[in-house]
Amino acid sequence: MTPSFESAPTPAIDVAGVRFAYGDIVAVDDVSFSVDTGEILGFLGPNGAGKSTTIKMLTGQLRPEAGNIEILGMDMPGQREEIQARLGVCFEEKNLYLSMTGRENLVFFAKLFGIRDFEAEPLMERVGLSARLDDRVSEYSKGMRQRLMMARALINTPDVLLLDEPTDGLDPVSAIAIRDLIRLEAERGAAVLLTTHDMHEADTLSDRVAFINQGTILTIDTPDNLKLAFGQRAVRIRTRQGDGVDEQVIPLDETGAEDRIRDAVSAEGLMTIHTEEATLEDIFVEFAGRGLAG
Amino acid sequence: MTGSRIGAIIRKDLREFSRNRFFVFMTLLGVVAYVAVFWFLPDTVDETVKIGVSNTVLSTDVGGVTEGGTAGFALEIYSSEEELRTAVEEGRDDIVAGIAFPPDFLEAVAAGESPTVLLLVPAGLPAEIELLLEGAVSEIAFGIARVPPPVDPITESVVLGTDRTGNQVSLQQQMRPLILIMVLMVETFALSSLVAIEVQQRTAVAVLATPVRIVDFLAAKGIFGVGLAFSEVALLGLLIGAFTVNAPAVLVILLLGAVLVTGFGMIAGSYGRDFMGTLLVSMLFMIPLMIPAFGALFPGSAPVWVKALPTYGLVQAIIRVTADGDSWSQIAPSLLLLAAWGVAAFVAGAFILRRRVATL
Repeated sequence: MTPSFESAPTPAIDVAGVRFAYGDIVAVDDVSFSVDTGEILGFLGPNGAGKSTTIKMLTGQLRPEAGNIEILGMDMPGQREEIQARLGVCFEEKNLYLSMTGRENLVFFAKLFGIRDFEAEPLMERVGLSARLDDRVSEYSKGMRQRLMMARALINTPDVLLLDEPTDGLDPVSAIAIRDLIRLEAERGAAVLLTTHDMHEADTLSDRVAFINQGTILTIDTPDNLKLAFGQRAVRIRTRQGDGVDEQVIPLDETGAEDRIRDAVSAEGLMTIHTEEATLEDIFVEFAGRGLAG
Repeated sequence: MTGSRIGAIIRKDLREFSRNRFFVFMTLLGVVAYVAVFWFLPDTVDETVKIGVSNTVLSTDVGGVTEGGTAGFALEIYSSEEELRTAVEEGRDDIVAGIAFPPDFLEAVAAGESPTVLLLVPAGLPAEIELLLEGAVSEIAFGIARVPPPVDPITESVVLGTDRTGNQVSLQQQMRPLILIMVLMVETFALSSLVAIEVQQRTAVAVLATPVRIVDFLAAKGIFGVGLAFSEVALLGLLIGAFTVNAPAVLVILLLGAVLVTGFGMIAGSYGRDFMGTLLVSMLFMIPLMIPAFGALFPGSAPVWVKALPTYGLVQAIIRVTADGDSWSQIAPSLLLLAAWGVAAFVAGAFILRRRVATL
C-alpha cells in the first residue's frame, strides 16, 4: 500500500453539518470541522460528548442523518470501501483477537486490506512489541494491547488516522510511546483526528483542538490561540520574606509590567516564577460550563 | 478481492475454533461418543412375543394352536405353575407373560366346564397385551375342545403405509437422525459462540473498518458455519453407516441441515451476551429443534406442532432415505420443506447478525 499524499486534497477530512441521534437522544448535532494532511486535530470533550459517534461516522459505522463527510476528497459513506482502504483506526475498546498472536492479528488485518506478503516484524518493532510477536494477545498487558492496536491502525500506511482515546488508562511509558508514534505519523503526512478527554495530551499533541460538548462543537483553534484568547496574561512570582512567602501576580498587559518583573527577579529570596496562562480545561469549563471529567 | 477477504475471515475463524479447547473437546467427544452409542444399540428387532406356559401335557396342543392361528407368538414351556411364576417375576427367558393352565384343564374343557386359567403378568404390562393374552387363552380352549367359537369372522389385515412385518426399524436406525441432529446442534453452539465473541469483543467493528463489506463478513460466517457443521455431520454419518443407501441424497440432506443450524447459530450468537448467555440462547433453539428427532423414536404420526418445527423435514428425509430406502422423488416433499426452512433460518440469521453488528 503506497501512501498518496501528493494527490491527496486539502483538507484530508472535511465534515460539514453532520447530525446523528440514537432514537430521541441527539449524539451529534450540526458538527463541522476539517483536518489537513499532516495535522493533528484534538477532539476534546467529556464522556458522552459525541466524540466516538463522530469517529463512527467517519469510519462508516454510522450513517449521518444530515450533513456531509468527505475524506481524501471522497464521500463517506458513498465511497466507503475506497476510503477505508486508506484509513487507519484505533478504537477505544481493545478489539483484538485474544486467542491469536500479535503477528497473526496483524497478518489477518493486512489480508483484509489486500496487502500481500505483509511482514509484521517492522511494525511490531515500531511499537516495541517485537519480542512478543508470537505470543497470544490474551497474554499481553493492557499497554501492550493498546500498542498492538496502534500497530494495527498503521498496517496500511494510512493517509488518515482516527484515534479514539488511544492512551486512555495507560501507564506513562506506554502513553509516551503512543504519543511519539502519533507525532511521527503526522510528520509523515497523515491527517490525524485524536479524540481524548485528556487535556494534557490534547495540548501537547494537537496542532488544533476542537471542544465538543453535548454533541456540538463549541470552538476550534490552536491551543496557544485559545490560551491567549481566554487565559490571563500574567506572571506569578513567589519570594521568601523572612519566615513567610510573598506572592505577587503581575498582569503582562499592564504598564510597567516589565519593570515589576525585573525587580522581583533581581530581589533576594526568589522562589518560583510561573506564567498564568489558562489550561485547556479551564477554557473548556468557560465554554461548556462543565469540566472534562464528566 | 472479496473472495480473498472472505477466505481470510474463514481461516481466522477456523484458527480461533481450533484454539478453543472446549469446542475441540466437544467436537471430538461428539464424534467418538455418538459413534460408540450408535454401534452399541441393537440393530435388529425381534417381532415375536414370547409367552410362558405351564402344564407340559398341554404343550403340544397349545403349540399347535398358536402356530396355526396366532403368528408372532412363541411359547416357553415350564413344568409347573411355580416355575412359571418365578420366570415371569424375574423376567427370565424374555417372556412377557405366563399362562398357567390347571392340571385338569383338558378334562374340564372336554366336559364343557369353564376351568380357571391363571394369567401371570408382570407389573407394567400394557393392558392391550393382557387383553390379547385373554383372547389367546379362549382361542386355545376352543382348539383343545375341538369346538368352533360362537362367531368366527374372517379377518383381513390391510397395512396402511410401509408394511414393516419382518422388516422392523431397529433402535439403531431410529437413533440415527437423533444422533446426526445432536451433532449439528453442538456445531450450532460452536458457531454461535464464535459469533458472540466477535460481537462482544467488538472485533467485528475492527473488521468492518477495513474495506471488508458487511456482506463479505456475513458470507464468511455463513460459509464457516455450514462448512463446520457439514464436515462433522458428514464424518459422523460415514461412521454410523448413513451413506449405505442413496449417499448423494443423504449428503444433500445433511448439507441443508447444516445451512439450517448455521442460521440458528447466527441468531443465537447475535443475542448472546457472554458464554452462559450464548449457551442459554442456543439451548432455546436446540431443544425444540431436537423434538422431531426424539419423535422418530416412537411409532405413529407426529402431531401438527411437531411437523411445524424446522427440523421435521430433516428428520423425515433422513429416516425415509436411510431406513425406508426412499428415492429422490419420494423424499422431495421433505427435502423441499427442509430447504425452505434452511433458507429462511439462514436469511433470518444473517439479517439479525447484520443488525447486531451495525449497532455495535
